[in-house]
Amino acid sequence: MNASSDMSFFTLIAGASLPVQLVMLILVITSLFSWWYIFIKVATIKRAERDAESFEETFWTGGDLTKLYEGVTAGRRKPQGMASIFEAGFKEYIRHKQQARMEVSDVMEGSRRAMRAAYNREMDDLDAHLPFLASVGSVSPYIGLFGTVWGIMNAFRGLSNVAQATLTQVAPGIAEALVATAIGLFAAIPAVIAYNRFASSVDRLSVRYESFMEEFTNILQRKS
Amino acid sequence: MMLRQRETPDSVKAGMLSVMVHVLLLGALLISFNWKTTHPVSIAQVELWDSIPVAQPAPAPIPEPVPEPIPEPVQKVEPQPVPEPEIKPEPQLEIALEKKPVKKQPPKPDVKAEEARKKLVAEMRQEDLKNAPKETPKPNSDAIKKLQEELLNEDKAVGEQKATAAKSAASAGVVDEFKAKIQAKIRGNVNKTLCGDGNPELKVEIGLIPTGQLSGAPKLVKSSGNSACDDAVERAIRISEPLPLPSDPALFSEFRNLRLTFRPND
Repeated sequence: MNASSDMSFFTLIAGASLPVQLVMLILVITSLFSWWYIFIKVATIKRAERDAESFEETFWTGGDLTKLYEGVTAGRRKPQGMASIFEAGFKEYIRHKQQARMEVSDVMEGSRRAMRAAYNREMDDLDAHLPFLASVGSVSPYIGLFGTVWGIMNAFRGLSNVAQATLTQVAPGIAEALVATAIGLFAAIPAVIAYNRFASSVDRLSVRYESFMEEFTNILQRKS
Repeated sequence: MMLRQRETPDSVKAGMLSVMVHVLLLGALLISFNWKTTHPVSIAQVELWDSIPVAQPAPAPIPEPVPEPIPEPVQKVEPQPVPEPEIKPEPQLEIALEKKPVKKQPPKPDVKAEEARKKLVAEMRQEDLKNAPKETPKPNSDAIKKLQEELLNEDKAVGEQKATAAKSAASAGVVDEFKAKIQAKIRGNVNKTLCGDGNPELKVEIGLIPTGQLSGAPKLVKSSGNSACDDAVERAIRISEPLPLPSDPALFSEFRNLRLTFRPND
């Protein structure tokens, strides 16, 4: 630890003690995963919003519900988002309608339950990975801080062996240790921002789905 | 895996983007930060002090000649006109007054001029003898001769000394004085009891910076044979910091590397 030591980024990481290196590794992996999930969520939420938009447009332009149902189920792909709620509700409605003795209120109740179940599945998919992002956002600064504290402890322990303490004896150790905090913050900040943004997007989608459920129930009630 | 079925089409693209973000950030870190630290130790070693004495010789010569020329003419020119009228007897005042301008008109004469003047003086002296035969002519003429010679010598000396004597007297004197001061200051701090009974002699070389601090560790050139004594002198050198130095920066070059001889029991 002399003053002429090379302070490049890689030597800082290579010179750190094993626990600090482990902390850095964990944080880098966490950061990679959180960014991966962030990009996946951006894509899926954008697609869900686009799907809801286009489905609402076709639904409210009128037309035959049976035709719409056939169009939704015709595709090879399983219907997603609002379409899947519509599909579940309308399928249940038709099934109850075919049993002639059913009361209207029971039919409505059945289709409503089916729609609620589909809605829950949709919400579960939309909410996926958000807890992971929240955990990364709140915990990774602490992991980084742990690495920093460990590194600084080592730096100061080395200082106790010399008679004349100078800053150059601790500075490299502290710089190494602070790299851990930097990586932790780098992992945490995007995760927190992404979590907040995705949570609000999912909330807005869920409100949209719920209002669609109510309105569709009304339409089915009028039909029967 | 940890992904939902509907997310699989995006996973590869998202993974690539994620890696790209990290690579970008690493690149930004490597470019924007200057990770190579310039360590201050080397800055302290730069020969900063070297440049100062080199840069300052221009103003330095000015103070040297200044003190010398002023006292010399004052001391040596003035006292002579004063005794002249006192020594000379009254009857010769006129002659003396006549001769003075003659002497002073050629102040830096050649050999020929000197001879001519001596002749003139001799003639005058004969005239004197004739004019005032019974009074004391000889001491007068002797005195005049002496005065003339003195004046001549002074004229020459002033010209020569101005150039050489000024510098040597000033710098050598001051340098020696401060070397003695440094030695005295260090000597005062030597623990003499460590040097035994004999008369050990040791030579130490020290480097100084213009503040009077040591530029490095003192180097033992010749040991006294007693390591305790050597150490005592070295400690004394360190304690004596800062060492006295002349205020004239031009003289510092004499002190950058000093070789001092110590006889602690002397």
